[in-house]
Order: sequence, then C-alpha cells, then structure tokens
Amino acid sequence: MAGNHTATEESTKRHKVEGPKKHIIAFIFSVLLTFLAFATVISGEINKDFIYIILVGLAVLQVFVQMAFWMHMKDRGHMYAIIGILSGVFIVITCVIMAEYWAWW
Amino acid sequence: MAHAHTVKRYSGLMDWLTTVDHKKIGILYMIAGGFFFLVGGLEALLIRIQLWKPLNDFVSADTFNELLTMHGTTMIFLAAMPLIFALMNAVVPLQIGARDVAFPFVNSLGFWTFLFGGVLLNISWFAGGAPDAGWTAYAPLAGKTYSADHGIDYYVLGLQIAGIGTLIGGINFLVTIINMRAPGMTFMRMPMFTWTAFITSALILFAFPALAVGLAALMFDRLFDANFFDPSGGGNAVLWEHIFWIFGHPEVYILILPAFGVISEVISTFSRKRLFGYSSMVFATILIGFLGFMVWAHHMFTVGLGPVANALFSIATMLIAVPTGIKIFNWLFTLWGGSITFTSANLFAVGFVPTFVMGGVTGVMLAAAPADFQYHDSYFVVAHFHYVIVGGLILGIFSGLHYWWPKMFGRVLNETLGKLTFWTFFIGFHLTFFIQHFLGLLGMPRRIWTYLDGLGFNEMNLISTVGAILMAFGTIFFLLNIVVTSFKPKNAPADPWEDGRTLEWTIPSPPPEYNFAQTPLVRGYDAYWKEKMDGHSGMTPAEPIGPIHMPSPSILPFFMGVGLFIAGLGFMYAPDWGNLIGWFKTGYAVGIIGLLILFGCMFLRSVIDDHGFHIEEDEILRDLGGKA
Amino acid sequence: MSAHSHVEGQLPHEPEKATLEGRNKVLGFWLFLGGETVLFGTLFSAFLALRHQVLDGPPAHELFQLPLVALATALLLTSSLTSVFAVHALHTHRVKALINWLIITVILGAGFLGLEIYEFYHYVHEGHGFTTSAFSSSFYTLVGFHGAHVAFGILWISLIIVQLMKKGLTVVTAPKVYVASMYWHFIDVVWVFIFTVVYLMGKVV
Repeated sequence: MAGNHTATEESTKRHKVEGPKKHIIAFIFSVLLTFLAFATVISGEINKDFIYIILVGLAVLQVFVQMAFWMHMKDRGHMYAIIGILSGVFIVITCVIMAEYWAWW
Repeated sequence: MAHAHTVKRYSGLMDWLTTVDHKKIGILYMIAGGFFFLVGGLEALLIRIQLWKPLNDFVSADTFNELLTMHGTTMIFLAAMPLIFALMNAVVPLQIGARDVAFPFVNSLGFWTFLFGGVLLNISWFAGGAPDAGWTAYAPLAGKTYSADHGIDYYVLGLQIAGIGTLIGGINFLVTIINMRAPGMTFMRMPMFTWTAFITSALILFAFPALAVGLAALMFDRLFDANFFDPSGGGNAVLWEHIFWIFGHPEVYILILPAFGVISEVISTFSRKRLFGYSSMVFATILIGFLGFMVWAHHMFTVGLGPVANALFSIATMLIAVPTGIKIFNWLFTLWGGSITFTSANLFAVGFVPTFVMGGVTGVMLAAAPADFQYHDSYFVVAHFHYVIVGGLILGIFSGLHYWWPKMFGRVLNETLGKLTFWTFFIGFHLTFFIQHFLGLLGMPRRIWTYLDGLGFNEMNLISTVGAILMAFGTIFFLLNIVVTSFKPKNAPADPWEDGRTLEWTIPSPPPEYNFAQTPLVRGYDAYWKEKMDGHSGMTPAEPIGPIHMPSPSILPFFMGVGLFIAGLGFMYAPDWGNLIGWFKTGYAVGIIGLLILFGCMFLRSVIDDHGFHIEEDEILRDLGGKA
Repeated sequence: MSAHSHVEGQLPHEPEKATLEGRNKVLGFWLFLGGETVLFGTLFSAFLALRHQVLDGPPAHELFQLPLVALATALLLTSSLTSVFAVHALHTHRVKALINWLIITVILGAGFLGLEIYEFYHYVHEGHGFTTSAFSSSFYTLVGFHGAHVAFGILWISLIIVQLMKKGLTVVTAPKVYVASMYWHFIDVVWVFIFTVVYLMGKVV
C-alpha cells in the first residue's frame, strides 16, 4: 500500500503540468483517424482485405490514443488497469480468431 | 476523530439479511452452497439408482435428462462456486491482514444475486419441468424447436442472474487483494490460498462475461425469436459451443485453483514445513490461469474444426500438465521429511494428491485429439471430470472446511467423525468413478437413460451405484459432525492446530467484527510462523489501538436480488400470461417492475452516503481483555 | 480509511484517489472495464461470425448510411472530449465548470442515442427486423448493447450531476465523477470498433 501511495503522488505531479491542450490534440487526432477511416471506405476501389487491414489499424490507433490520454492510462499508477484491459483484449483476440476461422468451414 | 454515527446494528434474521461482514457472508455462502450440494447430490443418487441394473425404469427418460442436467448445473454453479466463495470470504481478508473486503456492499450483493439466481433455476422443478439439455445446453437442442417448454428459460435466466453475482464477487476479491493488504504483505509473501483466490477471481472476471453474452443470445433466440444459433435463420449452432467453452474451460480452473490453494495451506501446516517451491507454485498458478483460456476447443475435437485447430488445442492442453505437475511435486516435497499429523483436514489433502493425479492423467489422454474420438461422449469422460472436480475440488473443499471450521465458528470439528467422513467419502468416490473409466472404454455412452442386458455393463454399474451410496454416507457423517460440534462449547483457541503459519491464526476464533484490533506488520512469508520462530508470541502491530471505521449493514442487496428474480420470471412467462393493455404483455410489466426494484435500489445506494460507524477504543480493549 | 478526514479544508489534487474507498472504486472499475472488454469482444465475435447470414433481409452495404453513422460518431467523440474536460475541472476543483461539462456530455450522449433509435426505426422499415436473419439479430444485439450502455451512462451521469449540485465536490462525489467519465470513454472506445467493424467494413463490398 505504501508503494501505491507514492505512485499516486507522482501522478499528481505530472497532472499539474498538463492542461486541456493535450486532450484537444488527442481529439483532433481522433477526428483525423475517423475521417481517414470513412474516406478509405468512401473512396473504395481498393483491395478488400487491404481496406480491412487499414480500417482495423486506424481503429486500434485511435483507441490507443484515447485510452492513453483521455483515460490517463499513460500516467503512473495504472499498471493494474493496463493488465486488466490487455488481458481482456487477449481473450477478445482469441474470440475473433474463433469467429473468423472456426465457426464455419 | 471518533465520530459517533448512530447506525442500527441488527440482530437475528435481520442481521443475516443485511450483513456486509465478509465472515458472515462466507457463512451464508457455505449454507447456500451446502444446501445446493445436497440437492445436486440427491440428483446424482437418483441417477445412480436408475443405472444400477439394465433396463431399469426407476425414473422416466425425460426425468433422467432433467436429473443429469440439473445435477451438473447445480453442482458447478450453485454448489462448487459458492463453496469456493465461502472459503474465500472466510479466509482471504484474514490472510492478508485486512479488516474487510474492498466492497462490503458488493460482496453482499454478489451473494444475494447468486442465491436468487440459484433459487430461480431450481423452482423449475415445480413449474412444469427442469432444464433437460445437459449442463452445456447445446444448440439446437436447447433452442425453441426442440425444447419448447420453460426448462431452458430457467437455465438461461437463473445462470445469468447467478453469474452476475459471481462476476462482481470476483472483482471484489481482486481489488481486496491488490489494495487491502497489511503493511509488509507483498505479493510474494501472500499465502498460497490467497494467491489462488486472486487468480481465480481474475479468471472469473474474464470468463463470465463470455457466458453472459452466450446466455443473452440464447435467451434472445428463445424469448424474442432471434437467430443466433438457429440454422434455419442463418444462425450457427457451433458458435454456441465456442462461446460456452470459452467461458466453460476457464470455469474448470476457476473451480480447481482454490482447491490447490487449500491443499498447499493444509499440507504445509500439518507437515510443519514451509511450502516447497513457493515461487514456482505462484508461477504455476498464473500459468494455469493463462493457459486455461487457450484450450477451450478441446471440448470440441469431434465437431470437425480441422486438423490445425485440433493440433493447436491438443498441444495447448497437454502444456497444462507442466504447471500442474510442478504443483504435485511441490506438495510431495513439502510432505517429504516433514513431521506429518494426519488430521481429517490433512487426510483430505493427502488423499487429494493421488486422486487429482489420476484425473490429470486421463486429462492428458483426452487431450490427444485422435484418441479423444474414441473416448468422446463415453463414461471415460464422466470418470475424468469427476476425478478432477470431486476428487480435486470437493476433497479440497472438505479439507478447507475441516481446517478453517474453528476459525469460522469457534469450534473444532470432531476428529473421529471427520476421519469417518474422509474414509467413507474417499472409498465411495473411487468405487463410483474408477470403474467408470472401464465402462467408457467398453463403450457405454454418457447421458443415456438405460442400457441393455448382456453388454457387460451390469456389474460395473452396480459397483458404481454402491460407491455413490457410500459417498452419501460420507456426506451424512459430515452433516452429523456439524450438528454434534455445534452443541460443543465455543472454545477453539486462536491457533487450534498449534502450527498455524498465516495471519488468520493470530486472531481469536471466530474473529471479532473488525478482525484485527491492530493491523499487523508482516515481516516475511508465513508471517505468523516467522514470528513464532523468532520467539515472539504474536504479530508486531503496525498501528496503535484506535477507533475502527466499519461499513453500515444494508438490506438493499437482498432487494436487488429479489428484483432480478421477479424480472427473470416476468420475461420468461411473457408469452404465456397474455396481454395487459393492447400488445403490451403482462409478463413484460412484471419484468419491468422487477428491473425498477433493481434500479431503485441502485439509485438509493448512489444517493444515500454510507458514513458507516466506528467501533470505539474501549469496546476493542474489552474484546482484547476478554480473550487474553 | 475514514471518508471524513478530508471533507473540511482543502481538497487534495486528485480527490478521486484521496480515500481508500476512492482508490478501490477506481481500481475495481478498471477491472470491470476489463470484463466489459470481453463482453463486447464476445458480442463482436458473434457478429463477425454471423454478419454474412442476411437471408432475405437487406445486406449491410445497402442498409447502412454512412452520413448518419458519421454524425453519431461525431457526437459521441465530442462527448468523450467534454467528459475529459469535466475530469480536468475536477482536478482543478472548479465545481461549476465540472457540472457544465457533464451536462454537455449528457446532452451529446442523448443526441447520439436519439440518432440510434431513429436508425433502428428506419432499418426495421427497410425490412431489417430483429428476427429477420442471424445478421440482423447479431447486429441489433451488438449495437443495442452499446446503446443500452449509453442510456445507462446518461441516467448515471445525470444522477451524479444532481448529487454534485446538492453535495458539492467532496472525496465522496469525486470518485463517482471519475469512474463515470471512465465509463463514458470506454463507451466511446467501443463505438470506434463498432463504426469500424460493423458499418465501415459492412460498406466494403
């Protein structure tokens, strides 16, 4: 518990320097990524699998940005949060593989 | 500092309905889980009586299907899970030196939702037929086409509600173990049972949402004509199997890991030795938890997923034998050279080791995909999973109950009756299930109502039934022991086994409401044993004696359970109960009332601040004086 | 341990983590979100497995209208930003700004929910009912679960706004705000995958 406490104090220090500016940058970044995703689909005429890869890549990037900045996951004292979410993501990946490869054949 | 908040402290029945004390919730879990264990056991006995001779007609085929479905469902979700939660509630906060769990209110909510879910599932017996599609409820058998009555609806809604309780219980224990440890209680000083409770809670957190989705989808299929698992609507029946086992396999490890923890504690205490290879035990526990999520398709080898999938899952499954083997050897090396006392708790623990090894060996046999095509759906599988669940988990729970009974109730269980329980249950168990391996190899399929004469099944089935009756006697001896013990004076010392190694043995049996008058300072693994070896009589306190803040009791969790129960019934019977106004069905109205009760309670919980109350210094000093 | 010790006098910088109760709440909620990840992941995998089973209903690329989805996305993304501002106001102890940002968040969320209800209504009239096909069932279940989360979030944050107005910013109310904002971000994160996997991928023929 002692360890926890110092972690909280350090994250406090980091917050003080942080204004809403970073959040607005993250927002612009998210808007941009969303726009790119929609544009990719609307422009069409590219290879289907390639579009899928681009779309998933953009989504993952956007989620990463939002979780790191808006949900403060980049700050200290979020080790268990990261473990929790990543474990969930790991199981989701196995589920998606199941749905894509082992549900129909 | 000492604010005197006036909080009603209830007594009698109201105390049990409103309690947020983890020790009392542990007892509630034990009573409820014990009750469902008896119900499931009775169902098992009826199954065995039906099968004791060929072409028996003791129960009808339909009833037999209901019995085997409810036996499996009840034992896993309503008996084993709550009994595990009983031990976790009773022991984990004490082992980490905490005054309570992280979320006492949520703890009580978890219990009441579990209980009302379990009751909902079981009233199906009196409401026109229990679920009868097996505990796995495979589609399309569990769909509306083949199971038109309400049996499966009870399964779906009962498990959904009970599952919510389990999920929030799991989150509660994770946070408790991460945030509430006493000073000095680092992760690598935590007792093994706490470690396994931690990993089990993590598995609950990540496995139960998958079950929730699967059950919701099946519910939509049945109640609202969705097409998830219905091939005529474009659905996919194999998808249900995947989702069920993505939950179902981790569930098996959710069940067995706490038993591993109990065995580690008991063997170490009664060998008077430090647990051999503690850090490898921790590592093995984590590894088993991790691998548990990557092996689900070994339940589906014969579905036809293809050689790649079967090979992958085959190898992943066999890998689990490695961390499990580490554990077995560590227990053996802990016993090696120890000064062993065979108390009833230790008998169960020592009996566990070879029994579980046998279950593990048949597990590896089943993991070989080509061989599994032969064993699949035969009594060999039945023998295998009863060896790991009864021979593993149930022996572990019996061991834990005998070991911690004095801590929970202040009375030591009778040793003679305890040993009698062990020998009848243990011999009965092997008699029942060892022979079933050979029944399976001879070709007797599982889940059949009866069998013909002259197939060579007769004698083995008879032996199996005799064994089941012996197990029933074992259970009766245990109940007898509880009754006999409850008439004895409540005089168990703080450390009744005299070789207690962990923090729970440093405080009175049963502990006061606040557990630790002063939070202990932990100086190493096996905290209490370390102090004993250093010649100290108790723990060094980490704080002076002062008023202790406690959470207030609350009746809300009980009513939230009631709300879910009513909502479940309402939605289930909506097609039968006719319309209230226009197209709006009466059942929906009832369901919405139930949900309103639930949300109303959540609203009250959010709006009313719980200030709790303080136990004052003089009361604590009085307790200390009385016990010294 | 006690929630009282901070009420009088200065609030700490991160009031949501000032008490053990608050820290427990934040950690417990993070773990809950880990479980929610699996919940939505399973819904996604069911949708992925069933998305081509349209039977007689309209296929995804004929059904979905990207302008509507883009508008819904814009609303939810902006509401996520406003809830970040709310947490920023929480950390700088500006109660008024905090309440205002939360109100804007709720309004944007309600707008999103309204669009979704309109969308569902529209689809049903196009012949894409809940019982039409496995595709439609899994679509409504996935998007509907998300919509139900939005609806719950709106009610929850509204309740917190009322509490903030009545009780002010304390070490008891602060964790509630923080946790609700985490929940709201998570809903937005899930939506990123929904518009990608359900709508955009559905549009790719």
